[in-house]
Amino acid sequence: MRISSTKSRVLAVLSSAALVATVVVSAPAHAAAAGPTCDGKTPINTCVGTTEDGAAYEIRVPSNFNGTVALWSHGLGVSWAVPAGLLPPFPSGIPVDPRANVTPYTVVGSTSSALASSILADGVAVMGSGFSVQGWNLDEAVKTNVELIAIFKKAFPTTKKVVAWGYSAGGGITQALAEQHPELVDAVAIIDPVAPVQANQKLLMDALWLFKTYFDPTMKLTGYSAGKAGDMEATADIGKMYSILASVGANVSTGKWPATAGPAGQALEAAGVPSRSAMLMCALLVGMPVQSASYDNISGPDGALKLTFPLAVSPALASLENFGAALTVGLSMAREWDAKFGANWYDNTKTDFAAQLSETDQVVYNAALSGNTVIGALLSVLNPANPAAPRLVGDPVAVAKASKLYSTTGKITVPTIMMTGVNDPVPAAAWIQQISDKYQVQFASEKAAAIAAAKKSRSYVAPKNKLGVVWLKPPTSWTKFDAAGTPIAQSYVAGNGHALFTQSQFKFMIDSAVKAANSGYVATTGTFVSKARKAGMVRDKYSSYPYLKYFN
Amino acid sequence: MNRRTLISASAVLAVAALTATSLPAQAAEVGVSSTSITLGMTLPMTGTASPGYNKIPGAMKAYFDYLNANGGVNGRSINLKVEDDQYVPTQAVAKTNKLILQDKVMALLAPLGTANNKAVAASVNPARRGVPVLFVNTGFSGFADTKKYPTTYAILPSYVMEAKIMAQYIKDNFADKTLGLVYQDDDFGTDALKGFTQAGVTFATKVAYASGSQSATTAAGWVSKLSAAKCDVVILFGVSSATAAGLGTAAALKYAPQWILGSVGGDATTIKAAGVPAGVLYNAVGASFAPATTDMTDDYVKLFSDIYAKAVPGSAFDNNVLIGMNTAFVAAQALKAAGTNPTRASLLAAIDSKGSTFASAALLPLNYSKTSHVGYNGYWFGKYSPTGDLKPVDGKYVLYTTDSGSGAVVKSTWTRPAMPAKGLPQ
Repeated sequence: MRISSTKSRVLAVLSSAALVATVVVSAPAHAAAAGPTCDGKTPINTCVGTTEDGAAYEIRVPSNFNGTVALWSHGLGVSWAVPAGLLPPFPSGIPVDPRANVTPYTVVGSTSSALASSILADGVAVMGSGFSVQGWNLDEAVKTNVELIAIFKKAFPTTKKVVAWGYSAGGGITQALAEQHPELVDAVAIIDPVAPVQANQKLLMDALWLFKTYFDPTMKLTGYSAGKAGDMEATADIGKMYSILASVGANVSTGKWPATAGPAGQALEAAGVPSRSAMLMCALLVGMPVQSASYDNISGPDGALKLTFPLAVSPALASLENFGAALTVGLSMAREWDAKFGANWYDNTKTDFAAQLSETDQVVYNAALSGNTVIGALLSVLNPANPAAPRLVGDPVAVAKASKLYSTTGKITVPTIMMTGVNDPVPAAAWIQQISDKYQVQFASEKAAAIAAAKKSRSYVAPKNKLGVVWLKPPTSWTKFDAAGTPIAQSYVAGNGHALFTQSQFKFMIDSAVKAANSGYVATTGTFVSKARKAGMVRDKYSSYPYLKYFN
Repeated sequence: MNRRTLISASAVLAVAALTATSLPAQAAEVGVSSTSITLGMTLPMTGTASPGYNKIPGAMKAYFDYLNANGGVNGRSINLKVEDDQYVPTQAVAKTNKLILQDKVMALLAPLGTANNKAVAASVNPARRGVPVLFVNTGFSGFADTKKYPTTYAILPSYVMEAKIMAQYIKDNFADKTLGLVYQDDDFGTDALKGFTQAGVTFATKVAYASGSQSATTAAGWVSKLSAAKCDVVILFGVSSATAAGLGTAAALKYAPQWILGSVGGDATTIKAAGVPAGVLYNAVGASFAPATTDMTDDYVKLFSDIYAKAVPGSAFDNNVLIGMNTAFVAAQALKAAGTNPTRASLLAAIDSKGSTFASAALLPLNYSKTSHVGYNGYWFGKYSPTGDLKPVDGKYVLYTTDSGSGAVVKSTWTRPAMPAKGLPQ
């Protein structure tokens, strides 16, 4: 899916396809390292090879190579093949794809090759691998990247600077690389990064558990069979998830619940709770953005629904759209981790879901949640003592295995540029906000240390800023309606969806990282701000995006 | 001049030049120029929630135009930028961002709505930006929390205070009656419930409605529950559209308890504009902290109604207008107190240090200090006249005051100072 689909195809299947399109898969048989084999052409010398762990890689070096290479890490892809013909949004299935990328695959309004050409034209080499393992692969991918850097430096000894960049899981890989090997990279550019693995596991599994509890208790979520049978079971779960989304969406006005709802959902429906409010509750409890490409929670159709639609309906539809994007990957990860760690690798018996609904969300989305009484009913159902809502009980051995994956800390070790859309359903804004806030504390500490040192040495050496963050924000309003007042589905609106950026935005990121690599710091004023603005982004140091609750 | 003198002179000049460049030119505050100060507000100007509220900007501008014609604030005129948020929180966020980032207002003035202000606080974060949020147009008690909202100032008495004082009025006047309550099922209603609980009021039935769900259809359900519980005194503690739906539907169904209307939904002009005849309002009990809008013996009412009549001919001088003009008047005093070169910081400091002494049309004091961002703290109760005007019973204001906590409800002994000359900040 990542490689084979075209951009228009990706954009046509809403952001769900876009998210999966950024993903990657299972380990090919490991071959001995090979290459690099270079074609020696000008103006671009292209080299290919295989790392020791079997990852295919590609390197492109321009004739005017200036000594800087940009190492790209692509996003998450499925580690097991979703069969064709079972999921309407993916009629061809979702294949495992181990091919190498040297630049972002999806570039809004342009192509990956055009972006690569624009970088190469500046004298910067590009390279990247397909990684040896697909799915959640931070641990393996960092090793591959370390090897690839060494391969490049050996093949091109005039190398002076290494800049690493990546989006989605590739953003996490790049962050992990910088945290573990700051000596190997001079700057990094991180785009829509995944949060630390435990936070992702919690977000995805809690969201799926909420779906199961409210809408369909037959969803399996864990304990999948081995091999192809397990693939089919997980694919069936994905299908159930889509059925839930379709049912809630189709009944958004009436509030009718899916026919698959179990005792908990049936009790809520009997109490007059609309299914749309339950869908929104799922999003708010896990930190999923509730604005999306099609739904801004601002606009309403002319007529009686002008106010009611954005207040009471739009947030649920946005949640639904974002879940469509995120939970396909969520279920692919559930299947992967189940196979890797064993059944019942996740435990939410101690989760206090009621505490995860923020006071602000409860007020701001009160109408869409149908008021405090309904909010209380929706949360009450999730009580761990409710037999109609059995929690996921973890197997300690499997849980321990799951906890051993490398977890990014967000500590800034090298000059770092970060970019995200504010409504990214991963959701990256929450993680970047936390990194940004932590870095402010870190920088203040460095400044205090520098002042203390200056009192002794009588010479003040100011610490160098190492973090710059730019945000892609949506327009003032963007939901569109047809003549009948029906909202029109939109596949791309800036600031929404996952890993969807234009060529100028990606170019801003790599240019800024190259500049930081050469200077050793990130200048976040002057041209940084003006160039970001020109690319459609802002450096907004004042807005504060809510953290994922699990970080606290 | 010998070499030594030359070197000395050069050194002096160099130091002078260094000093000159080291001292920044007096930084102009955002939204403040040599001739003007720009403020911004968000509120519903269109849509179903807008009736009544959409008169507030016109009322404020009427006062500011009057002020500007009389010299402004320390020679600066006041400009008010108004953005329509349609009462939608995400729209309020977008519009507030526009006011701060694009229009570059010095401060926000009277942004309306509990949910909208909470959304703005969480997302736009005026406090982090140092942007003053003056006199939010909501009675949610939480906005007076100086730690949570350090740059935000309440001005309306809180809903908790209102409920506590309303409870006292009920005890004094309807002690043996069966009580019913209709309230909004969100923070607005939660505040009210907190106040009623604090006061020990027992309701035969309580009907909660989700914000936005109020209509003639849903109101029929309320009436059914209230009449089934044989409520002979019913409190409508909701927004104006809920009040109108409740009164109108009850009248149609021949259900006629003694109505008590909360201040938020008690504006007669708005209720009548929604199609409720004034006769239905007649004898209903209502609350206010300002003088009756028909009380032309009151200096403020007389002045403000004259100003408004000239600025917006033909528009009724109602409670929304009076409160809007009064808020503008208080804001003008805050800006004046902020000094001849006001900054956001000096504005906040001025309200903290002098806000409790600001003149105002209200019949209760402002309670600002460094540790309190509480505005007014009490109400008087009256009844609606046959024409729908809220007037004190027997023509005499009996004011009660309390806090948002466990404090007792007591009669206010505060006396409003005389209006400053021409109703201008002194």
